[in-house]
Amino acid sequence: MESISAPTPALHLRPLAIVGRVFGGMAEHAGEIWSLLVSSAMAVATLQVSLRSVMQQVYVMGVQSIPIVLVSAVLAGVVTSQQGGYQFQGSIPLYILGSVVVASVVLELGPVLTAIVLVGRVGARITAELGTMQVTEQIEAFHAVGRDPIAILAAPRIIAGIIVVPILVGIADIVGILSGMVSAQLTTGLGPESFLYGARLFWHSWDLFYSLMKAGAFGFAIPVIAIHMGFRTVGGAAGVGRTTTASVMFMTLTVLILDAFFPPLFLQ
Amino acid sequence: MIIRYRDVWKAFDGPVLTGVDLGVEKGEMFGIFGPSGTGKSVLLKTTIGLIALDRGDVEVEGESVYYGDRKALRRIRKKVGYVFQHAALFDSLSVYENVEMGVPEDELKHLSRREGTRKIWEALELANLEPREVLSKIPAELSGGMKKRVGIARAIVGRPRILLWDEPTTGLDPVNTIAVERLINQLSDQLKVTSVIVTHDIEGGLAMCDRVTMLDSGRLRFVGTPEAFRQDGDQVVRAFIHRSSAEAALAEVSHR
Repeated sequence: MESISAPTPALHLRPLAIVGRVFGGMAEHAGEIWSLLVSSAMAVATLQVSLRSVMQQVYVMGVQSIPIVLVSAVLAGVVTSQQGGYQFQGSIPLYILGSVVVASVVLELGPVLTAIVLVGRVGARITAELGTMQVTEQIEAFHAVGRDPIAILAAPRIIAGIIVVPILVGIADIVGILSGMVSAQLTTGLGPESFLYGARLFWHSWDLFYSLMKAGAFGFAIPVIAIHMGFRTVGGAAGVGRTTTASVMFMTLTVLILDAFFPPLFLQ
Repeated sequence: MIIRYRDVWKAFDGPVLTGVDLGVEKGEMFGIFGPSGTGKSVLLKTTIGLIALDRGDVEVEGESVYYGDRKALRRIRKKVGYVFQHAALFDSLSVYENVEMGVPEDELKHLSRREGTRKIWEALELANLEPREVLSKIPAELSGGMKKRVGIARAIVGRPRILLWDEPTTGLDPVNTIAVERLINQLSDQLKVTSVIVTHDIEGGLAMCDRVTMLDSGRLRFVGTPEAFRQDGDQVVRAFIHRSSAEAALAEVSHR
């Protein structure tokens, strides 16, 4: 069986060949991700996923991420409050700042900033960990001893992601609003009563649900992409580095693309 | 035949295995030699379906690895212990948990904690390790030789009928190499298993094995007894034996 290399296409067809390669690559990724999801769902349905592994991942992905999520939420609230205060002074009633901070944090900054932080903190870690296991034959070793690496490594991480990201986003939303309120008082002199009055004026309960829905989508996408990339790692330590970088890029793009799809779908 | 490779084809970027036909008899120790990159480890991995084939099949005790269902593959994997080149121990698990992974899941469910521990203890002792010293350690705390032995304990704890050894002495110093070779012999006798060994160590392999084969450019260049291999007139085989002997001598000098 000789390997046959593809002939070089004519110059005017090369753009088409590049498009073909890109779409071919995307189809390959999509197929593998679909297979990962089906296998994970089967592992859950046949009770092969241990609760202990899920709780372990909830701790690693959730509890250990709280400090960095808190820092990013505080800063998001403070910056939104300061910039809003600067723009509103002398033109718009200052209590509107409460509404702006709450809407910005709940609808956008809470879920997206938390997701971006988790891409680096959790997603990169998953890809590097599974990638290292792949290149050191540990994944093959699971198969060799008759165990399913999807049930042991993939499914617990996906379940944990869906559980912890909405909780972290909920925490980020609350902390972001509180820090924005404190910042508004310190920088513009807007008291908490006026801030909350402004916040209530334009508040929709749906916004909170929307925020948590986004969080759920991010919590699903981040581990799925990270695991998929980890499992397809090849080429030793350099390969792990390459795949982790690519994984972070894919996860970040996915978060931003999903974010762009949410308003037309759920905020009409 | 306990293992039968039928017209096995596999290519990655280029061809690796090109129509390998080979049988391994029950109870024998079978060696696979060949230069680097000729598909020795790939062939070994096909025995339990770790690599998808382009064409062909492998049968273990008459059951197809590639054309059977998932249950058949699980049955085959239960019969086979695999010792990986670099041990492939699970980083985050202790030695106890690593070896426990080698016990088939359905058997593990019916074992009490005490019975499970006894089984793991015995496997570690068979692999010439002192269980008390290593049970609670994680792989990062073990030396290369110890990791290899834990990998062996994991492969034998389920009492397989076939043991596959992927470069069992690679990366070990001469003292550990001899110790691991003795261990392979000892385990084969004690457990009455069929062993297939992929190795670079020609002298060690020829001394241990009942039959050997040499892979070259994805094809079998030789299949027969160690004596016949030593006396084979094929130029490629002769060149390989000379080169390997020279490399082994160099390696020994550099270890001194």
